[in-house]
Amino acid sequence: MILKKIKQRAFSNILDSITTLIIISFIIISLTTILKWIFFSANWSVVKINLPLFFFGSFPKDQLWRPGLWMSLIAILSFATLLAPRWKWVPKFLPILWISFAPLGIFLLGGGLGLSPVESRNWGGLTLTILLTSFSAILSLPLGIVLALGRQSELPVIRKASSLYIDTMRSVPLIAVLFFGQLLIPLFLPIGLEINRVYRAIIAFTLFVSAYLAEDIRGGLQSVPKTQREAGEVLGLHPLQITCLIILPQALRVALPSLTNQAVGLLQNTSLMAILGLVELLGIGRSILANPEFIGRYIEVYVWLAALYWVVCTLMALIARHLEKQMALEKRG
Amino acid sequence: MKISYKEIIQALFALFLIILICVLINNISINLTRTGIGFSFNWLFRPASFALAEHPLPYSPSDSYAWALFMGWLNSLKVIIYSLLLATVIGVFIGLSRIGKNELLRVVSAGYITIIRQTPLLLQLMFWYFVAFLSLKETVLKPIGNLLSISNQGINFLGITLSAEFSSLLLGLSVFTSAYIAEVVRGGINSVDKGQWESFRSLGLNDFTGLYTIIIPQALPAILPGLTSQYLNLAKNSTLAIAVGYSDIYAINDTIINQTGRPIEGFIILLLSFLFLNLFISNGMEIINTMITSSKNN
Amino acid sequence: MRRIFTGILTFSMLLTGCVNSSVGIQSRLELIKKRDSLICGVSGKIPGFSFLNSNGNYEGLDVDICKAFAAAFVGNSKKVQFRPLTAAERFTAIRTGEIDLLSRNTTFNLSRDSSKGNSLIFAPVVFHDGQGLMVKTSSKINKLEDLAKRSICVGSGTTTEQNINDAFEAKSLPYIPIKYQDLNQVVAGYLQGRCSAMTSDRSQLAAARSGFRNPKDHIILNDVLSKEPLAPASAGGDQLLSDAMRWVVFALFTAEEKGITQANINQQLQLAKNNPQMKPLRRFLGIEGDLGEKIGLPNDFVVKIIASTGNYGEIYNRHLGPNSKVPIPRGLNEIYNQGGLHFAPPFN
Repeated sequence: MILKKIKQRAFSNILDSITTLIIISFIIISLTTILKWIFFSANWSVVKINLPLFFFGSFPKDQLWRPGLWMSLIAILSFATLLAPRWKWVPKFLPILWISFAPLGIFLLGGGLGLSPVESRNWGGLTLTILLTSFSAILSLPLGIVLALGRQSELPVIRKASSLYIDTMRSVPLIAVLFFGQLLIPLFLPIGLEINRVYRAIIAFTLFVSAYLAEDIRGGLQSVPKTQREAGEVLGLHPLQITCLIILPQALRVALPSLTNQAVGLLQNTSLMAILGLVELLGIGRSILANPEFIGRYIEVYVWLAALYWVVCTLMALIARHLEKQMALEKRG
Repeated sequence: MKISYKEIIQALFALFLIILICVLINNISINLTRTGIGFSFNWLFRPASFALAEHPLPYSPSDSYAWALFMGWLNSLKVIIYSLLLATVIGVFIGLSRIGKNELLRVVSAGYITIIRQTPLLLQLMFWYFVAFLSLKETVLKPIGNLLSISNQGINFLGITLSAEFSSLLLGLSVFTSAYIAEVVRGGINSVDKGQWESFRSLGLNDFTGLYTIIIPQALPAILPGLTSQYLNLAKNSTLAIAVGYSDIYAINDTIINQTGRPIEGFIILLLSFLFLNLFISNGMEIINTMITSSKNN
Repeated sequence: MRRIFTGILTFSMLLTGCVNSSVGIQSRLELIKKRDSLICGVSGKIPGFSFLNSNGNYEGLDVDICKAFAAAFVGNSKKVQFRPLTAAERFTAIRTGEIDLLSRNTTFNLSRDSSKGNSLIFAPVVFHDGQGLMVKTSSKINKLEDLAKRSICVGSGTTTEQNINDAFEAKSLPYIPIKYQDLNQVVAGYLQGRCSAMTSDRSQLAAARSGFRNPKDHIILNDVLSKEPLAPASAGGDQLLSDAMRWVVFALFTAEEKGITQANINQQLQLAKNNPQMKPLRRFLGIEGDLGEKIGLPNDFVVKIIASTGNYGEIYNRHLGPNSKVPIPRGLNEIYNQGGLHFAPPFN
């Protein structure tokens, strides 16, 4: 029975059988090489010794519980989201919790209100990567919605301005926008006003990502049938109420898969800050490789970073898929 | 005369934009005078005095900054065009494997897509360069006799030499983009009615001919827009060349900004060069698009 | 074009009420004091000079110089923030005010110093270096000419890049530059055999080599391609800050010359307090006179510096001395009376 299934699926004709055999041998060879390297050739001391750096950057030793707490909260929140359907009351609080965890991160990392202040230069590693991602995501969503609505607006000035902004941003490479954020934003500010580097990166990411989100949301808006607006008008609702209460929720639900893809993309793109001098996950890897003790250990570092990024991104994608399913269920129910 | 509230909103919005722009320009001009940077493009015609490893046209360090920038632009164009072709080939192959009949092939290509899509491109590029090419050290790989040799100096194929920097950027960009193209291709083919497969099979065509003559032509209108946006992404991503030491427009611009101390002018040049690159790609795709639609109408 | 620009400018000024374009330009030093911390641009990737250790702190010669500045400016060597900068972004960072000053292996030269160039002001040289080339011993390369038509790994956007170009152009030798963003990539490219040679300042070559598994397999060629006087720098047109920086560095030299160390600073202070006749020492340590005030610093700034970082020799030995991880012979970097080039004018 099983044999028959295997035959049907992988050995249906000669060409298929050859492909299958080639793939199997390829998998065996590469797996053995990789496993041999991981367990025998590789020297993982560079990762072991610098583990706190990879996760928390150069955060003060006695305050490590703060980024630690934040990261564990995120982990708990992620699992809660995945398991949420089992408890009925949880889903109601989840969106609020997800939105509030980015400001909580700033508070826990930066200090204030009883916590000793820690300069943003000490933020780094995976914590900084997640902070950059979450903050930029939360800020760019409203901006993206406004831009998408602006592009659909009846008012020509607003429509043209939104289109111009979206199209320009989408034709520029991200690294150029980040370069602008790091080196040119200070030139646009009045003397004496300084915005710290991490926030400047967040501004740049927000400016960039919101243009992409706007296009995804616009796709969602277009998918909402015209009759919905008309139905709202019949009910005597104000145009603003129609947009916010009827059109937008539907559009966002349609756009959700592409929005979550953008979020995963954003997390990966925070690695570009390594080129511009922030010590986020990839940046801290490059700094560690400059330490004379670890010169030349970059294969181990890169493999470790790749695994870490993969796990985080996959987790994000899983949660996103889960949310999509939940929303589809809610809609039906 | 009655002014509607719509016009007032627009006027207020326009005024707000103008004020915002003016404040920014005001600040920047104060800052420029304060730091004594100024604003001019005269430096473009001074000698660049740095060498380039790769330049498609003759170049020497005594040529002007403008010429060096043009070399960078051509280098970008070169790597974009090559990766675009390679990414399409790999992407279509993976995309077809994803929907093929062979279960194992489907699983492997799905694995390929998740590994590629869930890790940052920048990390992948460094991996290709430092691990794939530079780890070869003294060894020279010759998989098919003397036709192809791969070493830490790059790839030599039939006498054509590609530097290690170019090759790793080419491979990194192509592999990364191919994972996205594969999904575009899969989506496009899945959008074709399933009944089409059964109907050509009942006509006695085998899967390959059917796919080529019936399914793909119908899937193309759905594939092309996605493909265009992936190509544009590839062009934008090519700026990460700086991480593997390839002299593209961004890297050269970076060097020049450092030498001349003119970040604003350099930034403007970067934006303009990308405007041209984008026009180049979208117009090219537009031409392909019209070619396909017109051939279909005939 | 200019007319349009000015037009927009005046218009915007009218709109914003920013008509008084004579904005009070204060010294950066005041800003640092007000902020109560110093923002120092470093490389963060050069062993011995500035790099991130496994405890997550920056350490190295450049880093200690920053700490000395912080001790003098805000009275506490811990109140300093380090901004790791790539070679390409460092000058923009200083111009835009992103950092207060630069302590990042920056070569002092005319075009960087001049107002029509990068418009910086340099403090005294803290490390005398020269550009060199490192090759593998097994390659049998002994001089510049042997490198013709070979590839050379070099950091982009640096004077290194121009010097190597000048050296090869002068001899009409062709070569292939492989450019990387920072030194550890240059090292990686060289070690993995992408290039036949790597070029950088000789101190950095030595620093990098000390970290190699087999340092003896690599030699630094005798050709010195350039003079590389490395000095901290600040933005041009700010005399208060540049004076303060200059005299902090001189204080480090003078303390070594006078044998004042981190360990004996308190004794020396007591000694000076008890002996009114030791005029130069009393002036130096700020017990007498107002030398500190003249450069916008507290009179006892020298005491604060030496107590927190030690004198120049101590800083050098900590990071580059024979027992450090990156030993580099002092050579030109001795104090002048020991045969080196470091000389401080009198504290009068």
